[in-house]
Amino acid sequence: MKIKNFSIAISAASIMAVASICSPAYSAGKTLTVVLSEEPDIVDPCEATRSNVGRIVKQNVSETLVEIDPKDGSIKARLATSWKQTDNLTWEFNIRKGVKFHDGEDLNAKAVVKSINRALNPKYDCEIRTKFFGNMSVSVSAVGSHTISVKTKAPQPIMPALMGTMTVVSPNTQEAKGVRNPQGTGPYVFDKWTPGQSVTLKRFSGYWGSKPVVEDVKYVFRKESAVRSAMVKTGEADIAPNIAVQDATDSKMDFSYFNSETARLRIDTSIAPLNDIRVRKAMNLAIDLEALRGSIFAEGVMPQTQIVVPSINGHNPSLKPWKYNLNEAKKLVAAAKADGVPVGKEIILIGRLGIYPNSTEAMEAMHAMLTEAGFNIKIKMMETAGWLNFLSRPYAEDRGPMLLQGQHDNNNGDAVFSMYNKYACKGAQSTTCDAKVDAGIKAATAATGENRRKIWQEVQRRLHQDIVPDVQMFHMVGFSRVNPRINFTPSISTNSELQVSQVKFN
Amino acid sequence: MKKYLSKRILSSLLAVIGLFIMVFFLARLTGDPGHLYLPIDAPLEVRKEFSEKHGFNDPIYVQFGRFVGDLVNGDLGYSLRKERPAIDVVLEAIPITLSLAAVAMTIALFGAIIIGSLAAYRPNGIFDRISRVVSLTAASAPDFWVAITAILLFSVSLRWLPTSGMGDFPYWIMPVSILVIRPLGLLVQVVRGSMITALSSDFVKTARAKGVKEKSVIFKHALRNGLLPVITVAGDQAAAIANGAVIVETIFGWPGIGKLMIDSILQRDFAVVQASILITAIVILSINIIIDIAYATLDPRIRHK
Repeated sequence: MKIKNFSIAISAASIMAVASICSPAYSAGKTLTVVLSEEPDIVDPCEATRSNVGRIVKQNVSETLVEIDPKDGSIKARLATSWKQTDNLTWEFNIRKGVKFHDGEDLNAKAVVKSINRALNPKYDCEIRTKFFGNMSVSVSAVGSHTISVKTKAPQPIMPALMGTMTVVSPNTQEAKGVRNPQGTGPYVFDKWTPGQSVTLKRFSGYWGSKPVVEDVKYVFRKESAVRSAMVKTGEADIAPNIAVQDATDSKMDFSYFNSETARLRIDTSIAPLNDIRVRKAMNLAIDLEALRGSIFAEGVMPQTQIVVPSINGHNPSLKPWKYNLNEAKKLVAAAKADGVPVGKEIILIGRLGIYPNSTEAMEAMHAMLTEAGFNIKIKMMETAGWLNFLSRPYAEDRGPMLLQGQHDNNNGDAVFSMYNKYACKGAQSTTCDAKVDAGIKAATAATGENRRKIWQEVQRRLHQDIVPDVQMFHMVGFSRVNPRINFTPSISTNSELQVSQVKFN
Repeated sequence: MKKYLSKRILSSLLAVIGLFIMVFFLARLTGDPGHLYLPIDAPLEVRKEFSEKHGFNDPIYVQFGRFVGDLVNGDLGYSLRKERPAIDVVLEAIPITLSLAAVAMTIALFGAIIIGSLAAYRPNGIFDRISRVVSLTAASAPDFWVAITAILLFSVSLRWLPTSGMGDFPYWIMPVSILVIRPLGLLVQVVRGSMITALSSDFVKTARAKGVKEKSVIFKHALRNGLLPVITVAGDQAAAIANGAVIVETIFGWPGIGKLMIDSILQRDFAVVQASILITAIVILSINIIIDIAYATLDPRIRHK
């Protein structure tokens, strides 16, 4: 008996010993571990609009002249202390004094001009340029030791908001090529990149702002949401900025927040039967959003009435979402049919695999709802590459009636970043055309202040009530898992950046 | 033997050249990389400028000529996404996959030989039945499900192993175990089958009649003959893992060649697609040649042909 007990004790001790040897590295001390879904290809701040780059470098390593408050879209000072419009085409920004880059260079007007020109250099496919400044003519010059002037050929009332995307790098940064060790002015210095494994940052002792609590940051990369959430659960990581809804199962660790994405089906309004407004209204009435919410979509999503989320300037809060009414939808279809509209014509619904969680299931459910209302819908789910062929102009001349599953992200403070592209007659991704909408977009783009907000709101109203270019779905939510040892609340901006200086330890 | 090997190497080289030409044209059939490289909202002018700058607007034969010219100079191209020479990116990934594959295949092969031989010793005995059920289940278990379940059990519930990542011994346990499962299950079946045949052969009966010890009969006389089909299947399995243990690499965050290939195909990073396929093809063809050598060593009829 004694021998048996002894054997059990030895076995138990062995298991515990093996277990202790195998203990994983838990996140501890003043080091923060962040697990991201994708390793960046390059960490140049010029690519900071890509979420996997932005979450590492934006406002951590490299700062912008201004930043957009995620709560209300207002613009706050960062490397610029103030700014003003000197004429219709010119803006001046005053640069903060006494700021050093990580490599010891001074931040001054010359350095900022050089950094902006680097980002706008057509020889470099910098994403800030291709996304925000692609069809804009901009010239930047120093007008004082710490003042720059930004001139454009057409009025740009939102230039301060645009500067919220423009990361500033050291004048020693190489031109026309992405860098793998960026030097900015942020609270963290880029330390090391071990390809495929991790990126580390260290606290910058010469930072101009208040000293952050976190000393070191380690970013690791795991594609699977289940693994990212498990890492925070076990303590191997502190923050997983985006996890899937099915993995957000721990109310003590998981946060849900509006992530600035808006889901819709884009309607090609130029082709029958979709060129008839009754058909487009019927499609919206046929979708039971409440049935989708909390089942295929997360409980926290909000039925949308326009493509921009409530915190964006130009959002119209007075619009009401479409209410599910199958009978009314059928009546509209019947009325259109009676007038000779070919409502039975096959409509292709182009979906994109993985555009958001359960994207295929969402399309299947909507297919069933639209079919019930009397439409002849055929789903085609595609990889991103195939889907992109249908997204932008030039569209195929011989295309048939089409709905396109889409999701648009705008957390840049103003509706201008969405409206022209999506709804203007010549917008790169627009399949609708209305003279009043075009005039509204043009007027709002040139306007400022309250007037600008009102014009945008009228454009949103016209689109929602008079044009109906979308089957409107939801403003989406994201989920982040945060280890209880730290104090950090994810917000709309977590979708594109993660400011480590805001993280505290509990 | 030398002549046999030269022939095999030459035919392998021709296969690599054919594969390379095919990959070049097939990759370009998928469309313009600018669509995926540039942000979705990039204006049309920027898209045109991008395609012109990188030569994606040129006729396909012009692009192919440029590609062959670069290749002759030993240049496998430049990764658009990573802004680095494609070969550097691939050479970083391949050792990770190869080390995973080598460890997994060694464990699977030796495990299968022991379990399969013991199962074949008494066909339909209790050990054989258990090993058959377990190995068949293992061979058909989906890697993804096993991996996630293992993480939830051993990392989240028991806290014995790290969830993922690269590092020392504990970090290898789950990825290697999951990679081992399928080849082990298959190889156990193959070893069992070929050993049952070998153990009922005349030369085994003769050995037993001469009073040779049973252990020696199984692992020396029968096994050497029973190994030939096992080597073929093991070679196929090793090539499959070397080709990219995509699921294990993706879930456990091992940046190997399988994950790289899938990512570069999805992003239309042509240079990386080409370089990774070339290097992987060379590895697989090398494995095949090693298998041929092993075959010839074990079976004198092949080397004397």
